[in-house]
Amino acid sequence: MTLSAMRTWVAALGILLSVSAVARPVSYTGGWTFLQTANRASTAGLVHYSISHNVSVGVRHEWQRGDDITLTALQPTLLAKRWYGHNYQANVYLTGGLGTATDRSVASLGSDTASFVGVMTDWETRTLFVSYEARFLEQGKLGNHSMHAARFGWAPYTGDTGELHTWLMLEVDHRKHFDNKTTVTPLLRFFKGPALFEAGYNVTDSAPMFNFTYRF
Amino acid sequence: MKKILLVLTVTLTSLPVLANDNHRVMDHHAQHEKNQGEMNHDEMNHGEMNHDEMNHGEMNHGPEHSHGSHEHPTENAKEDVMTMSAPAITTTDDITAALANGGAPVVVDVLGVVCDFCAVAMNKIFGKREEVSALYVDLDKKTLSLVVNKGASLSDKDIENLAKKAGYRIAAIRRDAEALGG
Repeated sequence: MTLSAMRTWVAALGILLSVSAVARPVSYTGGWTFLQTANRASTAGLVHYSISHNVSVGVRHEWQRGDDITLTALQPTLLAKRWYGHNYQANVYLTGGLGTATDRSVASLGSDTASFVGVMTDWETRTLFVSYEARFLEQGKLGNHSMHAARFGWAPYTGDTGELHTWLMLEVDHRKHFDNKTTVTPLLRFFKGPALFEAGYNVTDSAPMFNFTYRF
Repeated sequence: MKKILLVLTVTLTSLPVLANDNHRVMDHHAQHEKNQGEMNHDEMNHGEMNHDEMNHGEMNHGPEHSHGSHEHPTENAKEDVMTMSAPAITTTDDITAALANGGAPVVVDVLGVVCDFCAVAMNKIFGKREEVSALYVDLDKKTLSLVVNKGASLSDKDIENLAKKAGYRIAAIRRDAEALGG
C-alpha cells in the first residue's frame, strides 16, 4: 500500500470514527426532503427520499465557489444509530457520495470522478443542541478537501407543535484548504412545521450563511 | 478514488449492523417470557426507558413477567410511579369532533420527540391511516394523541410499527378512559 493510499484510509477512517453533527438528513419512511446550504465555501442543494426510517437516497449538486468547481453526486445516507430519550434525541448519520466534479473556471482542468464520505452526529433537547459533522471529498485532479464543523445551539423558549421555534447557534468550522482554516459563524435558526431556515454571518471570513430545509 | 469507493462499500454494507434499532440494548428483556400482554417488550427500547417516568400501573406486564429480572430504582420509587398521572389526550378541534363522532381516544407516549420535524413525521405516517380520524403531536407532553374511527381498530403493534416508520419509539399506550385522563 502506498503512502498516499494509507493517508486516504486513515483520513476516511478518522472521519467515520469521529464521535461527535448537524441536520436530519434522513426523514420518515416515504418522506422527501429538500436541503439548501450556502456558506463561505459552497452553495449546495440536496433532494433526498427516505426509503426507510434510517436510509435515504438523494442527489446533491454543489458549487465550490472558491475554485469554481461544481459537483453532482448520488448521496445515500444512513441513520446508523438513534438514541431515544424522554427529553432528548441523539443521532449518528453516515453518508457518502459518488458523482462528477467539473472545473468551471477559465483555466478549466475539465471533469473528474468525485466521491466523498462523511459523518454527522447530533444531540438535542428542546432547548439545547450540539452537533458535529465531517466530510472528506476526493475529486481526482480537481483536488481533495476535508471539512469539520461543530455547532452549539440554545433555544430561548420552547415552542410547541406548529409554533415558531427559534434557536441561537454558533458554528465553528475547519477547512484545511482555506486561508482562514478555522472560522466562526453565529447564526439564527427558525423552525416551523416542515420548514427550517438559518441565517448567519461568518465573522472570520466575512461571508453570509443561509440554509433552508423543507420536508414533504 | 478506489480507496474511497472501498471505504463507502465497507461502510454501507456494514451499517445495518449498527442500525439494528437498538435491539441489542434490550437483550435482557428478550429473556422474559413472551407473554407480556399487549405491549411488545422485545421491540421496545427498555435500555433507554426511564422507569421512574413510566406508568407501570397501566402496562400489562403479563402474568409471568418477573420484576426481579430487571432493575427498578427502589420499591418506593415504584410506588411513586404507580401514583403518577399520565398525560391525557390533547384536545384540538379535530380531536374533539372525532370523539363526538364516536371515535376511540388513544394516547401514545413517544420517546425522542423534540422538534417540529418529529411532529411532521408522525403526522405524515399516522395521518395516512384510514383508521385514524384525528391526531395531534404534543411536543410539551411528548405524546401522540389519536382518535380511532368508530368501528375501526389500531392495535398496539400497529402503533408501534407506525412510530418506527416515522423514526420514533413508544413508551406506553393508553386507551379509552385512561386516554381521557380518567
